[in-house]
Amino acid sequence: MQTLNYPNVQETLYREVLDNGLEVIVLPKEGFNKTYATFSTKYGSVDNHFSVGSQTPAKVPDGIAHFLEHKMFEEPTGDIFAVFASQGASANAFTSFDRTVYLFSATEQIHANLETLINFVQNPYFTDTNVDKEKGIIEQEINMYRDNPDWRVYFGLIDALYHKHPVHIDIAGTVDSIRQIDKEMLYQCYETFYHPSNMLLFVVGGVQAEEVFQLVRDNQKAKNFEPQDAISRYFDDEPDSVKIKRKVTELPVSLPKCMLGFKDKRAGLTGEALLRQEVTTKLMLEALIGPSSKLYQQLYEADLISDSFGHEYNSSTGYSFSVIGGDTRSPDELIEQFRSAVEAALASGIEPTAFERSKRKKIGGYLRMLNSPEAIAGEFTRYRFRDSDMFDVLDFYEKCTIEDVNARLREHFDFEQLAVSIVEQPTA
Amino acid sequence: MTTFERGQLQRIRLHVLPTKRFKTFAISLFAGLTLDEATVTPVALLPFVLRRGTADLPETISFREKLDDLYGAGFGFDVYKRGDSQIVQFRMDVINDAFVSSSTPLLAESLQFLGDVVTDPLLEKDAFNSKYVEAEKVTLKKRLEAIVNDKIRYAAERCLEEMCADEPYRLHPLGKLAEIDSITPASLYEQYEQWLDQAALDLYVVGDTTLAEVTELVTHAFKLKEGSPSTYATPNVHHKVKEVKQVTERMEVSQGKLNLGLRTGVGYVDDEYPAALMYNGILGGYPHSKLFLNVREKESLAYYAASRLDGHKGLCTIQSGIEFANYDRAVVIIKEQLESMRAGNLSELELNQTKAMISNHLRELQDSAYEMIAYDFNGVLTGKHRSADQLLEQVQAVTPADIVKVAEGVQLDTIYFLRDRKEA
Repeated sequence: MQTLNYPNVQETLYREVLDNGLEVIVLPKEGFNKTYATFSTKYGSVDNHFSVGSQTPAKVPDGIAHFLEHKMFEEPTGDIFAVFASQGASANAFTSFDRTVYLFSATEQIHANLETLINFVQNPYFTDTNVDKEKGIIEQEINMYRDNPDWRVYFGLIDALYHKHPVHIDIAGTVDSIRQIDKEMLYQCYETFYHPSNMLLFVVGGVQAEEVFQLVRDNQKAKNFEPQDAISRYFDDEPDSVKIKRKVTELPVSLPKCMLGFKDKRAGLTGEALLRQEVTTKLMLEALIGPSSKLYQQLYEADLISDSFGHEYNSSTGYSFSVIGGDTRSPDELIEQFRSAVEAALASGIEPTAFERSKRKKIGGYLRMLNSPEAIAGEFTRYRFRDSDMFDVLDFYEKCTIEDVNARLREHFDFEQLAVSIVEQPTA
Repeated sequence: MTTFERGQLQRIRLHVLPTKRFKTFAISLFAGLTLDEATVTPVALLPFVLRRGTADLPETISFREKLDDLYGAGFGFDVYKRGDSQIVQFRMDVINDAFVSSSTPLLAESLQFLGDVVTDPLLEKDAFNSKYVEAEKVTLKKRLEAIVNDKIRYAAERCLEEMCADEPYRLHPLGKLAEIDSITPASLYEQYEQWLDQAALDLYVVGDTTLAEVTELVTHAFKLKEGSPSTYATPNVHHKVKEVKQVTERMEVSQGKLNLGLRTGVGYVDDEYPAALMYNGILGGYPHSKLFLNVREKESLAYYAASRLDGHKGLCTIQSGIEFANYDRAVVIIKEQLESMRAGNLSELELNQTKAMISNHLRELQDSAYEMIAYDFNGVLTGKHRSADQLLEQVQAVTPADIVKVAEGVQLDTIYFLRDRKEA
């Protein structure tokens, strides 16, 4: 067991990689009643073309990682939610682009709940009947998102940005793609991606580290996992350009929703370099268009944005893009004013005072995040799967210079790399 | 669990929870007024205008820069309904100075900031700044018009509006679109003065501080008038349903949103409240509940099918997203679950699961500053102070007979369905 001290945030982390490859991290939080645990596989919606060792690469239908997540909750003995409920735990799961996470939070019976979490995720049970039954439920989930304009404008943007990379595919797939899924495919994905060496268990809250490790070691020792060769993931070459410059979706909305996305040409960063780029970009975006920026006030006063206006940056080894936007009375005016303000900033650079303020804001936001066990587990896992350490983030924010931010500003805002997604009222 | 220390400063009640568990100070100010058709809209507009600038920081940009300088202090507000009250809640959270090399005491600065926002706004003679008022009128309009965008929330709110058509509770907490235009900077200021004079004001602070320190800081930070605190009225939760209202609305949607409104006849202050929590938990509060199991797992009709209890208004609402063609079947299955509750089909397992889940929730909320504040505020709002530990014990003691008694009093009031424009 390795002890990792982070004195600047007053946290201590314990880490161990078991013989079967499973990585376990425990973060005891003194005084907390709650324990929050996530059991995550580095497997998400983008992993649709893969092989293990020398196997022939397999392609699987869109939405299968999410389908698998749904089906994991069914055991031969019934629904696993019932077991968690009997043990006073509230359980859930979610699938993102690059990971699937199973979780619970509880204040009692922590050991029983940890056993339940590990055991149900390591015990797939798929039958023709239960796979078929799930299709109706997931169809309704897909339809629910179809009616959600925020979801549509966001995923519409990613679809406009990427030609080939599967990040542009809806995480839940489509009604047609999920109909092709059968239990054999689910087992194949399961066997590939749910091997302990592709997974991370994170436990945070009112726990004793050594007790957790002992429990997990004993649990894993009783199960037999053959060593697994490395997983290869295949992605078609992604052109630098965006796929669609302007994508419009019609839905009943009170005002158009408009999002601008800038696609980075340079992908392929890993580990620390990827983390550094994320920190620099987020700081740059905050200084340029955060709520205390001149640009934000200018757009607000021109009645072009509302409180819904925001920005984010999404990056991994295979893709990276910013998302900027919200509700607007006029997408065209918004784009135009945004463009001229960014062009001015490209010439003058970010104001030093705005840079310093944004840095403070980001550092404060990071420290506030550490109050939340859910956020810690989520962020730690996200960074770990990209071979970086969440606890380095603070240091990177502190060391980031205005020169870094200005260089990033000039690299990122290339209007050739802009795609726009709009959701507006149907014309008729 | 440590408890809130209470104090009072003129019209404000102070509630302070000293704890070293968090890396932040969490601050909330609740300002509540009886929900009223005449005042709901201007009161909703107030926080929007107040967050544009203060006498000290008149420009919105300098106002926001100040927040960034306080290490990105969180500042926000919310306007919502509880029982028969319209509540404006301001929230701030700021990190504890121990974690940063700050020269300014962050708790003091934050309380000063909040005090200025609420009690020392930017004024022009006896009116608010007209530019800010006009801009925020537009913002409020947009917010009201945007309710339709999220169909799940829209359907839930429409169901309540139909259900409570003869009560102030039909009003949206953000007010009425048609009333916004007539508000002027002067009329809003008049409303503001009344609001400060009449609203029930409760200030909460959770973090590494004391009641004495907060009292001292608030004395300097808030420009307070003389007076004593207002209290909240207890809403009447007893309502006789004559016949079930059925409402269908059409829009361009892919999925139908089915919402049912029930009257429980049980309020937060009542001794039956723990049993009502159990009723809701077994019916539809969790993934092990009857609605989830029967509507989703057995019939594959929906992705979500759940119920929610509103103890302040004595309501229970059910929501589900279904295919249009499955409307009749879904309604039948949901009614069967209500009937099953009434008939006392409550297994030992359901009882134990639900008790465990509610207990877990009550223990977990003690790990979050804002959840502790929200829970404690229930006591202020209703006058019924029931600690989380007490409620936990009461829930554990609930018997099947108690739940059946609640179920017998539950009346279906409204069935609301949002569907597509195609005629069946």
